Amino acid sequence: MKTLVGKFESFTDLEQYRSALKDRAAGVDCVIRVCCGPGCIPKGASKVYEAFRQAAEEADDKTVSVVPKLTGCQGLCECGPIVTLDPGGIFYQHVQEGDVAEIWRESVLGSGVVDRLLHHDEKTGQAARTTEGVPFYQGHQRIALALCGVIDARSIDDYIAAGGYQALAKALGSMKPEEVLDEVYRSGLRGRGGGGFLTGRKWRSAREAHGEPKFVIANGDEGDPGAFMDRALMEGAPHAVIEGMIIGGYAIGSSNGYIYVRDEYPIAVQRLRDAVAKAREMGLLGENILGSGFSFDIRISRGGGAFVCGESTALMASLEGRVGEPRAKYVHTVEFGFRNKPSLLNNVETWANVPAIIGRGADWFAGIGTAKSKGTKVFSLVGKVKNTGLVEVPMGMTLRQIIYQIGGGIRGDRPFKAVQTGGPSGGCIPAAYLDEAVDFDRLTELGSMMGSGGMIVMDEDTCMVNIARYFLRFLKEESCGKCTPCREGIAQMLHILDEIVGGRGTSGDLERLQELAVLLEDTALCALGKTAANPVLSTVRYFRDEYQEHIENHRCPAKECRGLFRYQIDAAACTGCGVCRKKCPVEAITGKKKEPHLIDADKCTNCGTCFDVCRFAAVKKV
Amino acid sequence: MSQPQLGPPPTCQSPEHTCGVSVVHEIIERYGGNPEMLIPMMQDIQAAEGYLPREHLRTLGRELGVPLSRIYGVATFYAAFRLQPKGKHTITLCMGTVCYLKGADQISAVIQDEFQVKPGGTSPDRKFTFAPVNCLGACALAPVMVVDGEYFGGLSASSAVDILQKIASSKKPSEAVAKADAKQKTAAQKNGRGSQNP
Amino acid sequence: MPTVTIDNQAFAAEVDETILQVAARNGVWIPTLCYHAALEPYASCRLCMVEIDRGGWWQMVTACNYPVRRDVTVRVESERAIRARRGVMRLLLARAPESPELRALASRLGVTQTDFPTVTEAEGNCILCGLCVRACEERIGTAAISLTGRGVERKVSAPFGEPSEECILCGSCAAVCPVGTIRLEVHGDEWELVPFGKKGPAQRCAACGAVLTAELVREALARRGPAAVQGILAGEELCARCKRKKLVGQLLAAGGSGAPSAPSER
Repeated sequence: MKTLVGKFESFTDLEQYRSALKDRAAGVDCVIRVCCGPGCIPKGASKVYEAFRQAAEEADDKTVSVVPKLTGCQGLCECGPIVTLDPGGIFYQHVQEGDVAEIWRESVLGSGVVDRLLHHDEKTGQAARTTEGVPFYQGHQRIALALCGVIDARSIDDYIAAGGYQALAKALGSMKPEEVLDEVYRSGLRGRGGGGFLTGRKWRSAREAHGEPKFVIANGDEGDPGAFMDRALMEGAPHAVIEGMIIGGYAIGSSNGYIYVRDEYPIAVQRLRDAVAKAREMGLLGENILGSGFSFDIRISRGGGAFVCGESTALMASLEGRVGEPRAKYVHTVEFGFRNKPSLLNNVETWANVPAIIGRGADWFAGIGTAKSKGTKVFSLVGKVKNTGLVEVPMGMTLRQIIYQIGGGIRGDRPFKAVQTGGPSGGCIPAAYLDEAVDFDRLTELGSMMGSGGMIVMDEDTCMVNIARYFLRFLKEESCGKCTPCREGIAQMLHILDEIVGGRGTSGDLERLQELAVLLEDTALCALGKTAANPVLSTVRYFRDEYQEHIENHRCPAKECRGLFRYQIDAAACTGCGVCRKKCPVEAITGKKKEPHLIDADKCTNCGTCFDVCRFAAVKKV
Repeated sequence: MSQPQLGPPPTCQSPEHTCGVSVVHEIIERYGGNPEMLIPMMQDIQAAEGYLPREHLRTLGRELGVPLSRIYGVATFYAAFRLQPKGKHTITLCMGTVCYLKGADQISAVIQDEFQVKPGGTSPDRKFTFAPVNCLGACALAPVMVVDGEYFGGLSASSAVDILQKIASSKKPSEAVAKADAKQKTAAQKNGRGSQNP
Repeated sequence: MPTVTIDNQAFAAEVDETILQVAARNGVWIPTLCYHAALEPYASCRLCMVEIDRGGWWQMVTACNYPVRRDVTVRVESERAIRARRGVMRLLLARAPESPELRALASRLGVTQTDFPTVTEAEGNCILCGLCVRACEERIGTAAISLTGRGVERKVSAPFGEPSEECILCGSCAAVCPVGTIRLEVHGDEWELVPFGKKGPAQRCAACGAVLTAELVREALARRGPAAVQGILAGEELCARCKRKKLVGQLLAAGGSGAPSAPSER
């Protein structure tokens, strides 16, 4: 298909192009959207897409016009690869390369569905034809992710056809920079990367700051374990981030943008690079954008694999080609940031909200969410939840709605124990607070935080001491090592936790942990260190008994900490197959063929081999 | 930041250009000789060579006017950089929260034990470079590892080792997948654990 | 001109002066480790924590790099600030329990021992203050060493952990090291910078043979020193004593009756 124009020179050019694209789309009979998001790619989505693409290319019946689209995340990672078809909005899950021919026959050429690939209700078994019948999709409201999963992630045409760059045209064409700023301020948008600082206020400071040139930076260094919101966004709708940044540049008077992307996200890097190149080629980036006289360009920078670079000053140091060490923020980065110039840094999700706010207005945005947390938030819902996936919901939805309605509840219908939010700076929230509304302030009050939006669900098999230890170990490895409290203090806390889960805890450990937590909060240089104790504090606050069981009785109630529980063979379930006896490395298991076996507790080293190899679930943890 | 003027490429005595002059010079030019782009340049050197050879770093420092000590500091600070050559295969093991909850720790221990490799290091037989990472963002597949770009999800300690042993003895990871998959299914049926895993 | 009120005493300050500078100028002691007046503040040791009034709440800040921009009220001797500084010191002592310098400073802070076990490895009591690295880079302009690795693996090292090619054995790093980790040792005619393993020949006084400096320093000065230094280098190289002797000899030879009194030993 040939390109309609070269470079847009005016707002009219863009609108004419958009209507031409719409006309072209109107002639399409069938659109096939293959999810190639973070969850679906590893499950073979690329092959599925390739098969559809080939089928569309080779279809001998040219009377049908079929457009296969490679999209970003469509949400329900659990059931990937996901394929949706229009017209009809047919929703297929677990699609493999081999299913493509059948879908083609039934739903592309015919008007039927492939029943086995539809979503079936867990209890009633009833098939859902579209996402409307899939519980996971109920209650979503997509703003940042509006076009992620809908458009072809690689196509600027798709983005434009769906209304992309309309907000930019509006801002440049009919709004003064101050008006753009006011709009963002009035929307109540707060930073989606962690702290939840009021975005409009930050923009204003950046605009008022002295010093030239000014810089606009997008933080795509998503590093919280269990979080993939930003990855999905950058891969699935890169232009939403770019458009937001251009608008931001216009508002504060900057012509230079940087997107800092996590090294572990090569697809995101590629998509953004391609998107920037394409936008530049079409005159949406570069000199004199849309003939407005405003110029702005973006450079993509890859991280080097350091969690601390998600911190703004460390990120800027890294952009400057240095070690990602944070520095004091007594003078803010909006005044004195990248290259010691005023720098406006926002998370990629924050940026992706901007076009919607400008396009639809601050009042519309402020009408969504809670009193002090406006709009929606993207979460990656993971862990021991039935529907792992990417969720964007209005602020204020309860944890229960997110975990039980959207997430489908806990795997194996086991009891819920806690949900970890906010990554390593966040905390674990127990069942008693499941009905709390999720917003910035409430999560902070609960001893956790919104963070970037990771939501890790845990069931009763998860040891809360061990999870606190996990996060501390993570932070110990990711601490830059510059300041004493973070480097030494985290190592000290981890040492105490190692002793506790090893059954060597002593009375006073909890007090020592709390004392260190205060020390870190008071004296660490950056947020990574200041909040490092949160996973420990929140678990001590809500699961103190569990700590005490470890310390006083050397028992792990969740039966996760090796050595703090025993293995026992359930005589009723044991068939006497002898596999455990043969596999036991220390010959601690005895028993005759076809008779229940027995573990000698004195010889047993609690290695867990018998538990792993038993095919009859006869080995129990007690 | 001032940008130094690039002189002509320095001459290299070695016929194989072990000093990395040609590679490094091309990469420096790619970024207009801007020392601020040190990290991308080092990433490109690593992409070209598989690791960061000392002589390349020396050349880079000399050409950019950046002290070698700073380059070495950067190379040792960021987890993505390697100062040793890479093994034939790269194991990227996800150590994210979800994978951890599902046993990534044990998988890591078994891999280290079985192939005598430390995190970030390469096995003595140069077959595997082991790179645990904090989160691959593929939580639906937990515990998950990526070997030479191919994803292996729903792992157990034993299935991970099985897959890696097959990869070590075959040419392509994909050849090892089919068998491993079959094995995984049996593993998933046991104890009711992991049966919900995709 | 902003006023800095430290523990109820008001002091005048220049804009962008640090709290530490104001305190030091007025005789208020705030402990420091990673700070050196000749170097840019780095604020890594966190020993100089003080509280400042933020109107309704007190913020903990590092005195060494907090810039005074308007009137500010500071508490150095508050319970929280003291607890923070002692806490940091206990962590440092756990890391480097053998360092006499650190223990001396600790006792001045009221910390006689640490209840924390040693959980991180410090090479020769190194507390990673980074003074050596900054002195080498900012003052000497050599940048022979850097902080390498990260987190608890962090250490001061020359590239690849080998003796630096750039190091000129000037010993500035050893001079600023607050815990005696770095030492310039003289073995006969050879100098060695411990623990970096850099070695080089000594330069001796042309007259008496006393050790002056490292040859490399002389070479470096010849290469990049200011013009005044070049002049000195052009002449005969003597130790201070021999220089004095020579000068006195020259003056006496000139026949002056009023021979200068011997300068006191510096």
